[in-house]
Amino acid sequence: MQIEASLWNASWATDGGRMQISLSYAPFEARYRGFDVARCSVDKSSDMNQFSSSGSVLKQGGGEEFSEELLLKPFPDRKVLAHFHFQSRAPHSSSHGRHHHLFPKAIAQLVKKFRVKEMELSFTQGRWRYEQWGGFDPLSSNNAKPPGVELWAVFDVPQSLVDVYWRNLTHTLSGLFCASINFLESSTTYSAPELTFKPSFGNLRYGTLPREAVCTENLTPWLKLLPCRDKAGLSALMDRPSIYRGFYHSQRLRLTSSESGSDEVDSGIGLEQTLTVVLQPSSWRTGKTYSVETNIQPSWSISSIFGRNIPGKCVIAKSSNVYLHLDNGLVGELKNLERENAKYVANTFESEGFQSNHAFKISVTPDKVFEEVDYLHGKSTSVIYGFSVEKYSDSQPFDLGLTWKIPVVWSCQQAPLHASRFLMGSGNERGAIAISLESTESSEGLPTSHIIDGRCELRVDIFQVVPWYIKVYFHTLQVFVDKQPRAMADVVDKIRVSPSKDKVSPGVMEMILKLPCGSKSAAFSLEFDKGFLHIDEYPPDANQGFDIPSALISFPSFNARMNFSEDEFLNNSPILSKFQETSPVLSYTEVLLIPLTTPDFSMPYNVITITCTVFALYFGSLLNVLRRRVDEEERILRSRAGRKAGWISQLLSRLSAKLRGRPQEQPTSSLPYSFISFRLVLKILLVASIAVTWQYYFG
Amino acid sequence: MSEISPEVPDNRQDAPSHVDPNSTRITKPGVKRLVLTLSVLFSLVLGFPFLWKSVEIYRSSLPFGEISEMESNPSLSFPCRFQAVFINFNSNPSPNHLQLSILDKITELTSNSSQCGACANDLALSVTVDSISSCTQTHPTDNSNYYRCGAISAVDFDFSNDDDDGVDELLESVLGVKNVYSVVVVNGGGEGIRAVVGKYRHAWIVGSVEEEEEESVLVSRVAEIFVKMFVNGGTENGLIHGEFMPVGADRRIVLSFNLLNAEPNDWVYDWDFQRVDETLLAPIIKVLGPIANISVESQVLYHTPKSSFSYWDEKWKSYIFSTKDLPFFVNSNEWHLDTSIAAGGRSKILQFVVYVPSAKECPLSLLLPTGEISKTNGFISPMWGGVVVWNPPGCLNSETNHPSRHTMSREDLQAVFEVFMGQFRQLFGLKSNNLYIGASGTYHLLPSGKGFTEWELDVLSRQFACFNLHSCATTLGSLSRLVQSLPRMIIMDEIGKLVQFSLEAAKLAQSNASLGDNESSAGQARSLAEDAFFHPSIMSISYYSFEHCFAIYSPFFLPVSMHVLLAALREWKRYKQEKAKYTAWKAKVKVES
Repeated sequence: MQIEASLWNASWATDGGRMQISLSYAPFEARYRGFDVARCSVDKSSDMNQFSSSGSVLKQGGGEEFSEELLLKPFPDRKVLAHFHFQSRAPHSSSHGRHHHLFPKAIAQLVKKFRVKEMELSFTQGRWRYEQWGGFDPLSSNNAKPPGVELWAVFDVPQSLVDVYWRNLTHTLSGLFCASINFLESSTTYSAPELTFKPSFGNLRYGTLPREAVCTENLTPWLKLLPCRDKAGLSALMDRPSIYRGFYHSQRLRLTSSESGSDEVDSGIGLEQTLTVVLQPSSWRTGKTYSVETNIQPSWSISSIFGRNIPGKCVIAKSSNVYLHLDNGLVGELKNLERENAKYVANTFESEGFQSNHAFKISVTPDKVFEEVDYLHGKSTSVIYGFSVEKYSDSQPFDLGLTWKIPVVWSCQQAPLHASRFLMGSGNERGAIAISLESTESSEGLPTSHIIDGRCELRVDIFQVVPWYIKVYFHTLQVFVDKQPRAMADVVDKIRVSPSKDKVSPGVMEMILKLPCGSKSAAFSLEFDKGFLHIDEYPPDANQGFDIPSALISFPSFNARMNFSEDEFLNNSPILSKFQETSPVLSYTEVLLIPLTTPDFSMPYNVITITCTVFALYFGSLLNVLRRRVDEEERILRSRAGRKAGWISQLLSRLSAKLRGRPQEQPTSSLPYSFISFRLVLKILLVASIAVTWQYYFG
Repeated sequence: MSEISPEVPDNRQDAPSHVDPNSTRITKPGVKRLVLTLSVLFSLVLGFPFLWKSVEIYRSSLPFGEISEMESNPSLSFPCRFQAVFINFNSNPSPNHLQLSILDKITELTSNSSQCGACANDLALSVTVDSISSCTQTHPTDNSNYYRCGAISAVDFDFSNDDDDGVDELLESVLGVKNVYSVVVVNGGGEGIRAVVGKYRHAWIVGSVEEEEEESVLVSRVAEIFVKMFVNGGTENGLIHGEFMPVGADRRIVLSFNLLNAEPNDWVYDWDFQRVDETLLAPIIKVLGPIANISVESQVLYHTPKSSFSYWDEKWKSYIFSTKDLPFFVNSNEWHLDTSIAAGGRSKILQFVVYVPSAKECPLSLLLPTGEISKTNGFISPMWGGVVVWNPPGCLNSETNHPSRHTMSREDLQAVFEVFMGQFRQLFGLKSNNLYIGASGTYHLLPSGKGFTEWELDVLSRQFACFNLHSCATTLGSLSRLVQSLPRMIIMDEIGKLVQFSLEAAKLAQSNASLGDNESSAGQARSLAEDAFFHPSIMSISYYSFEHCFAIYSPFFLPVSMHVLLAALREWKRYKQEKAKYTAWKAKVKVES
């Protein structure tokens, strides 16, 4: 049952076009008044039965679910990754409407009010080090984010209204997360990617704030969306000093909402909140003994990283798990070591249970062990140990520790090309942006599906947004492959450019590249002019320079996904099912800092002062020309000189005489000195008293 | 610069040799230079006001006088239409006499309270004395809306039995007219006098009246029902109860219901709010429709301890928190009740909280200052909402270690929502007792199944109009004070216009109210006033300070004015001197000749 209303802008509806609808006031809101809707009565008894029979559903909070998980992973550069993953789901809102049991009310209302289909908001501090921390696995593709704030959203509204909804959404989010997301409201800061970012139909908006500082005031409202906040469960680990001391900190919120009807299982709102931190285990105490062996990994435990333990699960959570992830590089290295050892010691190696082997020791026995299955290559695969927190409590907290016995060196799997971006040129007038892609080792085994027409090609997508005050000349795009200049048409498969408009929209460049397989490197350069900003548009600290948001480099032909052997448990674990989803390999480049000419705020005042002085001089001299009688003045002066006035005038006349080059006849002082000094003192006193009264009344 | 103008007479050459040029002058001194310098000076002086005007800060003129006038007296006067019907009076008192004595009583009762909403100016009373033999009636202005003679006696109903609801429905069918409040006085029945106020817009008094004194008692009761019930809504302190009207400027209220589990590790309670919404809240929302547009939302929160302390009391076998602790009960650090995104900017949000205590404070009770345990176990905070402490059943003996999930039973929910209903009425300033003890006796109030009786709704809607006007007046008043206190504040034309419109709407509301329409205009006035006050441009205080102005203009005007002033002074001095010389010479020549 539904009621529809429509807005008519036809001539008959608008009094012959005289009273037209001003679309600038959109979105319009219509209200119905004063009617009663009669409906057929539904047999309540059958409904009741359903309720009582599915009482367990009600106990789960009206179909709403929440689960919490934590993934720990040692990195080759002696750091540890901690990845918190919280997931809430609410069934579709037409049935449950405004009543929530577990799902955060604020988010549900946000989705409903702004018709958000999909949204992702991330707050990041620090840069993900793709070389050391890997760039190929789903974790880095999904969770490595550019510094500052990144927000994109897909709306379920007609294209003409998308901008309005985006503006309202940014304002609401900025209030919700205590951040300056509302700066994304201005059309100079957001863009609508079409080719490279995500498949969309014009209802996607993307914006970044590279300079936004991330701090606890952003984390607290984020935690507020969790039913247990940081009072219980895994989030109790988030000790603010230790998580903000890390090398990388990224808090992310991702929303997906789907209309009911399409498929029953996934309809509703899904909220995924992740916090990714890279921390350095403080191993100085234990490290002393190993000071000789510098490349041994530091041993760590949850309590040593965070300074806290896990005091049991969040009671409301459906599942609460901790995982330890050893990536394929590490596992391969361990197996090699094992094989070498096996030559000396006749020890059988079990692939499943090496939690207490000769290389490392895990302090808690894992409940589950998952091994990645790689069907394509028979290479080494990663291992995930699963621990359930259900049975732990306040009196017996969960503390997972990893102790290394021997030094192990390995490297993480990297994206096929390593992207970096830098500035060229000098001065405050013009420069150039260069993006360079360097081949990494892992691109050797390309999937065969990319051989088109006998040519092996690697597809790379580049998405770059440039603020309007960096005036990029897109015709200056130069392409180098293996350090040789190439024609654009050879390499660029598709390109979409929307040039910036001053103070209206940023410049957007989207490129789909087809690089030849064997190429070791590729580079692109674009020249730009630096624009002039109005005095109001400068940020408070103009001398720091201006940030150009990160470029997004994606490799659509590579999928970051892990395959695990079929297991019932996997479907219940959001983090592992997330890993199994197919997502393209993504990486972000660095943020560039461009110095612009900084304004001199005292300049206008200086100009005013000097102009005024010149005008005053001109005016004064003109007045004098009109007024003065030179002959008479000279006569008076002469007669005064004869009278010999005060010593000041004597001094003056002597000075003028000297200037004229005429000898001065020595006057005989006839007047008493005391009289002159009395007048002088009187004058000085007068001036002083004026100064004092001025100071007293106006100072 | 050293050119000699030919007009200036050269004294030394023309004058005879015996004339001293320093003391005598034989030609008239010229005024050309004097006029020149003086004209420059005057043009400078005349130009100064233009400059001052041009650097002035733009301030749209606000009607300060009207604002302060409205702020001093933001009152609405509504028309009051009363009728009293006396049935079965054998002594046959004259209706005119009764009308006069009731009106006297009413003015006596209203004289001490002259608030907004009282009907001191526009009051109409019709009295009908309807006995079997005759029927006499006074008609104040128009008789169409009033009681028709014989209508009640025609139905022939027994007022003396206890079926109040039946009587109420019957009277509604007979008297059911909008805007007129009626009191029916029935002679007969048993001992004493019984007064009942119904669900609609009428009340009735049943009692046997024989003597003159009894009649005056009846008259004072009738007047009291009119003034205390139908006009003031049964509240003690009269109508306006000031700033406490929990309705937003856009006539919207968001009721946010929260179930707080203080410690989910002990037990977790959930509720089936959907059903409560449909069965208990929907009728009330519909009834309140004419006054406010109400929407409902709910959430369940966890780990939300209260921030005050409680202690174990052996006498009550429960943990006790007293009324002193109430200001600290609401823990704003942990209770993330949240403002609603769904609500617009001007909507009012009322929070209703069900607090489920943790196991270590389990039967938690509120101790009243009288030394008794509160029956509702809850409290309200005006303009914020209400809190009810709900102790889970059997919380004293349950010693389970692992947390258990429960759902609040229907009976418990019903009980809690009855308390919430009372709190909601209280937030509107209405009482929930079914007895009202007035100066001249007690009155039974019939409760309405929908939460609010019709005469209460009338009171609320008048109160809302008053409240809107009052808040419009205070907003405009503070705006005008702000504007007057900051002389360097820029005031755009938009603000001036909004203030103008707001004042006009307020005046319209005042004139409409006396015609019986208490809708919209006052609310419009309030929202326009708030628009003006919260206009973004109001923050644009000019940073172009006086020092700044001085610093910019002094490099030009200081040297120029020095030049001009000195030149004028010198010229004037010289002219005077030369003139004196000339007149002296002239006199001398005259004497000589």
